[in-house]
Amino acid sequence: MNRWIARRLLLGLAQTAGVVLLVFALTEALPGDAAVALAGDDPDPARIAAIREALHLDRPAHERLADWAAGLLHGDLGVSLASGRPVTDALAAGSGPTLLLAALTLVPLVPLGVGLGVLAARHEGGPVDRAVSAVTLAVYAMPEFALGILLVTVLALRLDWLPPTAVGYGTDLLAHPAVLVLPVLVLLSRPVCSLGRLVRAGMTEALASPYVAQARRYGVPGARVRWAHALPNAVAPAAQQLARTADWLLCGVVVVEALFAIPGLGTVLVDAVAARDVPVVQGLAVVFGLVAVVLNLGADLVARRFAPRAGVAA
Amino acid sequence: MRSPKRADAETGTEGGARADAVAEIRDLRVEIGGRAVVDGVGLTVRPGRVTALVGASGSGKTTTGLALLGEYPDGARVTGDVWVAEGPVGYVPQHPASVLNPARRVGALLTDIARTGTADLPRRARRAAGRARVLAALEAARLPDGAEVLTRYPHQLSGGQQQRVVLAQALLLGARTVVADEPTTGLDALTRRRVAGELAAVARRGVAVLLLSHDLDLVRDLADEVLVMRAGRVVESGPAEELWLRPRHPWTRELLGGPGGTADGGQERGRPRTPAVPAPGPVTAPLPVTVPLPVAVPLPAPDPAPAPARDTVEGPAPVLEARAVTARHRGTPALLRDASLSVRAGECLAVVGRSGGGKTTLARCLAGLHSRYEGQVLLDGAPLPRSLRRRDRAQLAAVQYVFQDARAAFDAYRPVLDQVARTAVRLRGVRPGAAEEEAVAALGRVGLSEGTARRRPGGLSGGELQRAALVRALLARPRVLICDEVTSGLDSVTRRGVLRLLADLAREPAGPALVLITHDLDTAALADRIAVLDAGAIVEQGPAAEALTAPRHPFTRALTGSPGAHGPR
Repeated sequence: MNRWIARRLLLGLAQTAGVVLLVFALTEALPGDAAVALAGDDPDPARIAAIREALHLDRPAHERLADWAAGLLHGDLGVSLASGRPVTDALAAGSGPTLLLAALTLVPLVPLGVGLGVLAARHEGGPVDRAVSAVTLAVYAMPEFALGILLVTVLALRLDWLPPTAVGYGTDLLAHPAVLVLPVLVLLSRPVCSLGRLVRAGMTEALASPYVAQARRYGVPGARVRWAHALPNAVAPAAQQLARTADWLLCGVVVVEALFAIPGLGTVLVDAVAARDVPVVQGLAVVFGLVAVVLNLGADLVARRFAPRAGVAA
Repeated sequence: MRSPKRADAETGTEGGARADAVAEIRDLRVEIGGRAVVDGVGLTVRPGRVTALVGASGSGKTTTGLALLGEYPDGARVTGDVWVAEGPVGYVPQHPASVLNPARRVGALLTDIARTGTADLPRRARRAAGRARVLAALEAARLPDGAEVLTRYPHQLSGGQQQRVVLAQALLLGARTVVADEPTTGLDALTRRRVAGELAAVARRGVAVLLLSHDLDLVRDLADEVLVMRAGRVVESGPAEELWLRPRHPWTRELLGGPGGTADGGQERGRPRTPAVPAPGPVTAPLPVTVPLPVAVPLPAPDPAPAPARDTVEGPAPVLEARAVTARHRGTPALLRDASLSVRAGECLAVVGRSGGGKTTLARCLAGLHSRYEGQVLLDGAPLPRSLRRRDRAQLAAVQYVFQDARAAFDAYRPVLDQVARTAVRLRGVRPGAAEEEAVAALGRVGLSEGTARRRPGGLSGGELQRAALVRALLARPRVLICDEVTSGLDSVTRRGVLRLLADLAREPAGPALVLITHDLDTAALADRIAVLDAGAIVEQGPAAEALTAPRHPFTRALTGSPGAHGPR
């Protein structure tokens, strides 16, 4: 078991390193660099060259990568080319709002998604099931930006119940909960639908199984059969989906952050790419890679717990 | 699934006939898609009595049995009367694993069933009382280390243990009627006697037992009344003794054909069957209440010539060898301890023992399906990688495995022929066209026509699928073929066919070495040598004739039912 976890973590580290290399190569391949971006409105070649020299951008790419990697081993993610401040500062500033949004989304997501799935499976084929399935499919089909714009238009601009964006509220969003309502609603919409549909699929299969028939036959109450005997069989796929959702939430939901002007990691990423701020982009790649590895490992552990037979071969 | 057909006690009108019955079926007809799977069946089950429904697979036994639970196949048209006295009906299905939740520990459902009986206790006392009842039920179902079993997942239990857990569920429920569907399928001789003893004990408590079985030994041991079914109809019924002594219907005679319906002409051996008299000693189950009559069953003729003589002592070097293999599951004690055995080219080795004794684990280690073990498995003297994934093509082809449940071993959505031919393509690099021709020819030799083989597995019977599975393994041209309980779960007529096939294979000089994992002593009789496993250790190993007729180890004596056996426990 422990060996399995260690192997998975090592593999995850290798994957993260691969992602970082790929990101570095891609940002190198983009036209222009940080010097061009910094020069801004004054694209004088001599000035660009001077900036390039000051930022050590005139050195070959592999040397810069090697330097950066050496720093990484000491926990040093380097210095932002655009602001001159350590990359860790930029990440720390962006992760506050991102973590807050992710947490606020995940807390209602699990009971809502599981509850919808169980409700639909309980009434399989009936009007409740069909209504739930139709609504979840429709909401799932709507992209975040479209739903976001719709909600902003109706709830913020027309009815004036909630602030349309987080502009002017700073980074301490928790002090202004009203700001968070619309982004959380938008973030919640699609994951609730996908989770609910997965739970429903797993539940209907389990409810039709001989072991559930046996539990019913032997007088175990219906609710107990659903929640304690059928639901565990739907947990494994749902956990995988939940890990993907958490990964998506933690790794900067660019569109939603941009729409509501929330200064999270997604915004940091977009700004860094625009400024060709390679160290920040790479720092983000490392963080996102590690988050993805840890979350998926967690989901696999849950899956092994609830589908122990499949785990024997892993 | 459920049908309103199951009437309540109050609506039973013919009180006279039902005075001493707990359930009655009258003129039951179940039609699926216009075809009657059960037609005009009637039976009565009485408290404390064992009623047996006997017949080949597909004869309608299970459909009739499930009618007592008020359950019918989807889309079935049901006519007739099914009356059940008030009180729960227990059900022990043929494949106990199917009613055990793979995602929950065994204890989960048992605890919930126990809860229904402790509702009137004060809240604080419920948990302890429930647990005590669960442990008592497990104990009654002969799972003495119940507390340990409760924490296991179903896949960590042997087939026999799974069945005892399901039986414990019915006992815990306090059922007045128990429907037991093929309860001895997949069990060894010793455990079979234990199950017989347990079912008899259940009956002694005043519970009515409806036994659906093709295990004639069990029926003879237990049944008070027997109904013989064929193609959905009861062809003959009556008190057990009468039926056994004077079978009237030709089908009954055919069913009773082989002694116990197991041995087949070529492979019989002169073991006196002592079906009804379990050896004395603590290892055996208590005698069934319905001590069967010492019927004059025709004994098999003594074996004239034990299969073409082979070098069994100073033969060629072993093909496959296990050296000091100790295997375990995650977090469980060792299932197999220090097991060493070898099989030579062309030899047939039977590994016998009771279920849960480690037979299948040993086979899985040999085949590379279980990699959590210490020790070595060698092919031609060279160590084999533990895991199937690390074995190369030649190593994969060299050791082939045939599983107990042939239906589960085939993909339900592809024609059987394609799946059989695939072995030759994957493991021997034969072109698909040629592989198909080879598969058609090989299947033809075991009596499966091309038309049959082109169907999906659903269109084949269990026996046909098991033969196809054997052919599939043989197309790899293996050096060693491991057969894991390939004859259990088949009715007597079908089983004879598969046994004959195995016997031919064992006799073929160029054939693979056979490792037969079995609890069935008739199957074991095909072997040149026998290894006996008990509680994870090999307790006896030697030439077949010796091990079966002059067993040295007390466990082997108990297993073979030799007189004077004294159990090891």
